[in-house]
Amino acid sequence: MATAEQQRPRVLDLLVPAPSVKACCHSGGGVGGGPEAPVVALVGAPNTGKSTLFNALTGARVTMGNWPGTTVEVSRGLWKTTTAAATCTCDECTCDDAEQRLDITLVDLPGAYSLDPHSPDEELTRQLLVGVPDDERPDLCVVACDASRLANSLYLVAQLRERRLPILVALTMVDVAAKRGITVDPATLSQALGCPVVAIDPRRRAGLEALAAAVRDGLGGPAPAPRPVPSTTDQLELDDDRFGWIAGAVAAGTSAPAEHARTFSDTVDRWVTAPVLGPLIFLGVMWLVFQITTAVAAPLQDLLDGLFAGPVSDGATWLLGSLGLGGSWVEGLVVDGLIAGVGMLLTFVPLMTLMFVLLALLEDSGYLARAAVVTDRLMRAIGLPGRAFLPLIVGFGCNVPAISATRILPSARQRVLTALLVPFTSCTARLTVFVMLGSVFFGPYAGTAVFAMYVVSIHLVVLAGLVLRRTLWRTMGTDPLIIDLPAYQVPTLRLTASVTWVRLKGFLQTASGIIVATVCAVWLFQSIPTQPGQAFGEVPVAQSAYGVAAQAITPVFAPAGFAQWQTTSALVVGFVAKEAVVSSWAQTYALEEPSGADPGSLGERVRSDFDASSGGHPVPAALAFMVFLLAYTPCVATLAAQWREIGPKWTLFGVAMQLATAWLLAVAVFQVGRLFW
Amino acid sequence: MYVGTDLARAPLGTHLTLLDSPAPESVCQRLSSLGLRVGTRFSLLQKTAGGGRVALVNGSRIALGADLLGQLRAEVAR
Repeated sequence: MATAEQQRPRVLDLLVPAPSVKACCHSGGGVGGGPEAPVVALVGAPNTGKSTLFNALTGARVTMGNWPGTTVEVSRGLWKTTTAAATCTCDECTCDDAEQRLDITLVDLPGAYSLDPHSPDEELTRQLLVGVPDDERPDLCVVACDASRLANSLYLVAQLRERRLPILVALTMVDVAAKRGITVDPATLSQALGCPVVAIDPRRRAGLEALAAAVRDGLGGPAPAPRPVPSTTDQLELDDDRFGWIAGAVAAGTSAPAEHARTFSDTVDRWVTAPVLGPLIFLGVMWLVFQITTAVAAPLQDLLDGLFAGPVSDGATWLLGSLGLGGSWVEGLVVDGLIAGVGMLLTFVPLMTLMFVLLALLEDSGYLARAAVVTDRLMRAIGLPGRAFLPLIVGFGCNVPAISATRILPSARQRVLTALLVPFTSCTARLTVFVMLGSVFFGPYAGTAVFAMYVVSIHLVVLAGLVLRRTLWRTMGTDPLIIDLPAYQVPTLRLTASVTWVRLKGFLQTASGIIVATVCAVWLFQSIPTQPGQAFGEVPVAQSAYGVAAQAITPVFAPAGFAQWQTTSALVVGFVAKEAVVSSWAQTYALEEPSGADPGSLGERVRSDFDASSGGHPVPAALAFMVFLLAYTPCVATLAAQWREIGPKWTLFGVAMQLATAWLLAVAVFQVGRLFW
Repeated sequence: MYVGTDLARAPLGTHLTLLDSPAPESVCQRLSSLGLRVGTRFSLLQKTAGGGRVALVNGSRIALGADLLGQLRAEVAR
C-alpha cells in the first residue's frame, strides 16, 4: 500500500503551479517540495520501471511490481537533488557553497501507453499532462521508456513531442536490452527525439545523478519546439506519421539483431503460460506460497505468543501493582485489553512478513503478469477481462488497494462488478484467523486447510461473478485480453525488502490505529455492567454490555454450528477489521477467567467452545466459521474504498450479498460436514 | 502457405504481417499503441492457457486473448 501522499483522481489541482525554478535549497518539507518547488511528472507506459524510479528518487515508497497497473493513484514525493555546480536563485540563500540542493516535487502518474485513454487511470494521466491550463502543467515530464522494447515506449513520447512540453526520456531496462543484443546510443537517440535522453537502472539505483543533472538543466531551459505533424484529423494518417517518426528514432539510436532470438523469458513462458501446465503451475505456486507461509511462520508465532502472554503481561502486572493500580480497571485495560489484544496481533508479524515477501517476489519477477494470462478464460467466464485478475490478485494481499486497482478497467460496469467480487478474495488479515484455527483444528494439515480456504475464495469469486453476470450484468460486453508481458527479472533484495516493508508498515499502522481503538472499545463494552449492583470494570464478561449484545445475535449462527457468544462477538469486531478477530477472542477469554485460574491456551478455549456449540462436531463448525469469515464483509476500510469507487448503493448491495452468501455457505458446510465428522 | 488467415489459425514461429482488423476501434487503438497495427511485421510465439497466443511485436511480448485472435487477419510476411 502506498504511503506517499495519495491523491484522489478528481482532484486536478494536484500539480502545484510552480513554473519558476527559483527555489532555495532549504525550501520544501513534508510530501513534495513545497509550493515553490518545481513539479516534475513521471510518466510512461505501464511496467517500464516508473514506480521503481519514483521510489528510488524520493524514498516515498509507492507500491512497485513487475506487472502493469501497479500505480493506480497519483503519488507525490520530495526528490532532493544536489549538485556542486548549481546556482541557487533565491534572494537570501543560506546554502552550503560546496553542495547546493534543489528540492523537486515528483509526481508519479498512472501508466499510459498513449494520450488516448482507455481507462480512468489513463484519462487522469492525460488530463494532468495536457488537459489543464498551461500554468498548472508540470514543469517537466520525465518519460520512462523501456530500452528492450523501445518502439512501444516511444508512442507516448511521440504524442508529447507534438506539444510544447519540456520532456526528458529516462531509458530503463538497458540491462535487459543488452542481454537481447540491443544497444542504445542515448546521444544519437536524443538528437532524433529532440529531447534529452538519460540511461538509468532504477532497480539498482544507477544513473540517478545523471538524471538529476539532466532534469535540472531541463527545468532551467525553454520547452523544445513541438515536432511538426501533418495538418490532418485523420487518426490513421497521424498514426502513420508517429510510427514513421518512432521508426526513424529507433533506427538512428539503437542497433539490434535482425532476428529476435528466443529469450530466457520466452523459454519460461512456454511452460508457465501453456494451456494445461500453466494453470497447474499457477495453482502449485499459490499452494507453495501458503504452505511456506504457514510452516515457517508457526514456530515464530509460538515464540512471540509466549513472550506476550508471559513476560510482557507479567511485567506490566508487576509494574501496575507497584504503582498501586493492581486489580484496578487500569490493569484490566492494559493487561487484558492492550497487551492481550495488540500483543496477540503482533505475533502475526512473521506470518505477514513472509506472505508479503513471497508476493513481492512474484510481482518483481514478472510472474503475476503471466498469471493474468493463465486466468483469462476464468475471468472471461464471469464477463470480466483478464486485466480484472490484477485487482483480484491484489485482493489476496489487502482488499483496500484492490478496490482502488479496479480503475485499470476501462468500463464502469466492469469496475463495479470487480469491486463487488474483490471482498471474496481472502486477504492476509483473514489469513491470521485461518492459520490459528487451522493449527487448532487440523494440526499437521493446517497448511492444507488454509490453502483450501484460498481455493474456496477463488470459487466464490467465480460463482458470485457468474450469478451477477447472468442477472444484473446480463448486457455487459467484454474486452479481449491484450497484455504486455514484461521480461522476467531476478528480484532484487532492495526492491523486495522495500515492498515488504511498505506493506508491513501498513499492517502495523492498522494495528496501532483501528485495532487499538477496537480493542479499547471491546474492553469498554466488556466493562459496562447490565445488571444492578455491578461496578464498572468488575463485571463478568457474559453479563457485560458486550456479552449481552453478542448473546442476542448468537442464535442466528446455531444452524452453522458456532452459536457461542464469544465467537459471535469476534465476528462483530471482525466487521471493523479481521486482524482484530483473534485479539478479540484473546481479550474475551482473558477477562472471562476468574483471577488466579489457569485460563488454558486460547486454542484450547476456542476448541472447547466450538465443541459445545456444535453438539460434538467441532471440525465442521470450525470450517463453517472459516467460510463465514471468508465471505462476509472484510473490514470497514474496504467498505470506505468501495463507497469511494462505486458509490453507496452498490456498497450496501455488496454488504447484503456478502452476509447472505456467508451465512448460507456456513450453514451448508456445517450441515453437510456433521454427517462425516 | 497461409495467406490472409485469422490469428487463431496462423502458424507459430513464422513472420506475419497484420492485414486488417474488424475489432472495435478502442481495441485497435490499444493494439496500435503497443505497436501492432496494419502492416506491422510480427510473429506468434506460442499458445497460452485459454486459447490465446503470445505475439512478438518489435521486441515486446504481447499476450492476445482467444476472442481477439479471430478478429485479426494476417498473412505470412514476404
